[in-house]
Amino acid sequence: MNIAIVGTGYVGLVSGTCFAEMGINVTCIDINKDKINSLKKGIVPIYEPSLEEMVIRNLNAGRLSFSTELVSVLDSVDIVFSAVGTPPDDDGSADLKYVLEVAKTFGKHINKYTILVTKSTVPVGTANLVKEVINKEIKLRGKNISFDVASNPEFLKEGAAINDFMSPDRVIVGVETNKSKELLTKLYRPFLLNNFRVIFTDILSAEMIKYAANSMLATRISFMNDIANLCELLGADVNMVRKGIGADTRIGNKFLYPGCGYGGSCFPKDVKALIRTADNNNYSMEVLKAVEKVNSFQKSILYKKLKSHYKILKGKDIAIWGLAFKPGTDDMREATSLVTIQLLLDAGCNVKVYDPVAMEECKRRIGNVVTYATDIYDAVLDADALIVITEWKQFRLPNWKVIFKSMREAFVIDGRNIYSPGELSKLGFKYSCIGNRNCEI
Amino acid sequence: MKIAIVGTGYVGLVTGTCFSETGITVTCVDIDKNKIDALKKGIVPIYEPGLAEMISRNISNDRLFFSTSLKESLLGADIVFIAVGTPPMEDGSADLKYVLDVADEIGECIDKYILIVTKSTVPVGTSEKIRGRISKKLVERNLDISFDMASNPEFLKEGAAINDFMHPDRIVVGVDSPKAKKLMERLYHAFLIQNHPIIFTDIVSSEMTKYAANAMLATRISFMNDIANLCEILGADVDEVKKGIGSDSRIGKAFLNAGCGYGGSCFPKDVKALIKIGKENGCDLELLRSVESVNQNQKQVLFKKVVTKFGKDLSNLRFAIWGLSFKPCTDDMREAPSLILINDLLNAGAEINVYDPIAMEEAKKYLNDKVNYYEDMYKVLSNCDALILVTEWQEFKVPKFTYVEKALKSKIIFDGRNIYDKKQMQDFGYEYYSIGR
Repeated sequence: MNIAIVGTGYVGLVSGTCFAEMGINVTCIDINKDKINSLKKGIVPIYEPSLEEMVIRNLNAGRLSFSTELVSVLDSVDIVFSAVGTPPDDDGSADLKYVLEVAKTFGKHINKYTILVTKSTVPVGTANLVKEVINKEIKLRGKNISFDVASNPEFLKEGAAINDFMSPDRVIVGVETNKSKELLTKLYRPFLLNNFRVIFTDILSAEMIKYAANSMLATRISFMNDIANLCELLGADVNMVRKGIGADTRIGNKFLYPGCGYGGSCFPKDVKALIRTADNNNYSMEVLKAVEKVNSFQKSILYKKLKSHYKILKGKDIAIWGLAFKPGTDDMREATSLVTIQLLLDAGCNVKVYDPVAMEECKRRIGNVVTYATDIYDAVLDADALIVITEWKQFRLPNWKVIFKSMREAFVIDGRNIYSPGELSKLGFKYSCIGNRNCEI
Repeated sequence: MKIAIVGTGYVGLVTGTCFSETGITVTCVDIDKNKIDALKKGIVPIYEPGLAEMISRNISNDRLFFSTSLKESLLGADIVFIAVGTPPMEDGSADLKYVLDVADEIGECIDKYILIVTKSTVPVGTSEKIRGRISKKLVERNLDISFDMASNPEFLKEGAAINDFMHPDRIVVGVDSPKAKKLMERLYHAFLIQNHPIIFTDIVSSEMTKYAANAMLATRISFMNDIANLCEILGADVDEVKKGIGSDSRIGKAFLNAGCGYGGSCFPKDVKALIKIGKENGCDLELLRSVESVNQNQKQVLFKKVVTKFGKDLSNLRFAIWGLSFKPCTDDMREAPSLILINDLLNAGAEINVYDPIAMEEAKKYLNDKVNYYEDMYKVLSNCDALILVTEWQEFKVPKFTYVEKALKSKIIFDGRNIYDKKQMQDFGYEYYSIGR
């Protein structure tokens, strides 16, 4: 089977490489010539564990190729995936320019039945737009070529994307014909030999599922953050509450971790986009609006904790561990670190940061307004407080004795509840975490 | 082991009976003499599948007793549970009057160590309040008797309470002394040896867990109702969306049904109470406020659909309602969506026929003679312009549609719980309205 994937961003590259790994011939297309040239050499522009290795393996095996021209491969593929970017507009809605361009090219140049599958996260109803564009182009050519559109939202977690793709919880595919259903079944069967977890549905619902899933996950986080803040006020321990409610099978124990807010390219964007879609249709997504608000409040909570400890922050030296919006990625979009850094700088603090992967990305975003440390110990040298924002594994068991000696004030604010309060206080640290004031010793 | 349970409402009765089933000697206490007399004879005032039978069995085995005297019941008891009602007050906060009365009485009559466990859903901090009340009484009596407090919230689902108690997902126990912990372990011994997990925590966190769990479940429902309403506008199908997101193991399948709003004695009360607790402590629980307001709107969604179809003036129209209780397998009508729907329909001039397999008697307390009660799910339909399904009782799921058609004036169904197959209903020739599809 031959397929093409348009867009070599995060989703396109992971999808294309994983399909190739399964024995499918894949051409990844991008208009960015430099990117394609370096990909041809096996140089991968994003950080994702074991992706590069897999790209090289499949390049060498001849199953994965890169090109700047969709038109050149159209005649030889059965399916085209559209995985181009949908950057949010200023108002939070997804910009469909690239998605519709792909549709236009597709309509202008197909000569036989082909399926165009949208993989990008696009607003509900986009597949219908795509179909219209293609129909129009084919009509302009005076031809009668059959095609199908489909929706196949991705559910990859940055940092675990390869595994998510190769053995998914489930695959959602929205189709409107049996023919496209059969072809896509063929495509996904190798991934799900033992238990075929492809959920076929209509296209509109498939588009909605992606937004609803991310929105529900964001809701779980904001819910727990609200509960955590109340626990702090009442003297309860949110971690015990989490265990208590997570043991209820109707709730489940995953994704209930309170912290300092969610970030990244998906949750904030998708929540905003769904709110926006509803607003455009005169419906107000009240729950999601609250989820958003709770999250933006939560992003400033670490700063507030620092502020309530030191009445005057001007001139304080503050260390930050973790810049990426979550571990396992260099992605800093909507990261809590950015909000925290800005608040600290505005208050006149000197900020020194460390992240195992996202330092370059941070430099690109904010440049030299902060100091970049060489390692976790360098970061805390003479610091008045350490703020832990991303729960990287290498932060979990540091040498606290060294840190205690290095810091001017041994004060740790743990935005992800990764430390044991007892242990830190025994060593003489002051410690503050999320949702448990009793640990503040 | 011997325990006393104060309050023979829903929670107290199920709890006491189930403990006696595991071999513990239980006395259930209530000030209502008629209720106690009836219970002694095995007459159970609430509807809960399997409960009456279990009560009779344990009465005859001399493990389950009923009494109006707290003092006598405490004689020789190791543990006393407080399971009295905490009705919501006007402002949404729980009324602790009964709980604190019991505390005073315990303080007035104990003469040796006892563990006092709150089982009623009480605001965070209530155990501390109870401790204070008892200490005060002991000081007044000039006695130096030690006692402990514990919190052991119930997670029973009406209609499945026996099973929930006997096979819990988890048991949450808040304690603050080793002695109390040991007693609770002994009490739950039958459950421990069957590997049902007991989560021991501090008292405050335990109190909070109950509210948080119900609040999260309510959040799932309001979230899905918001999604359903949007699906309806955009042409997506909320049941497909439910399948799609429920298959994500981080989300889970349960409790994602869109519908016409949650009701009952727990979710509305606990969500409101938690919002109140937050407010009193300077924490605005925004998310929960939105959950609450979405639910209010959702309870009107069926009425809005009826109005869209029939217009604002519903006089000369008659509607049949299937299901009155707030959910199946219970006769509980508290905060039931049916009440709001019926009220709106009546105000618009409609005539209403109702049928519910269990909750009719209970419903009469709320609706009096404002509606026509029918004892048969098909007869209720006669001469009606549409059927509105509000509660998803099993018997409604595969009805004899030939009977339905014959009885109804026109083939119109409003399905508030999405229990019918949309395509099939259209094939049958019904004008079919559901939620989010």
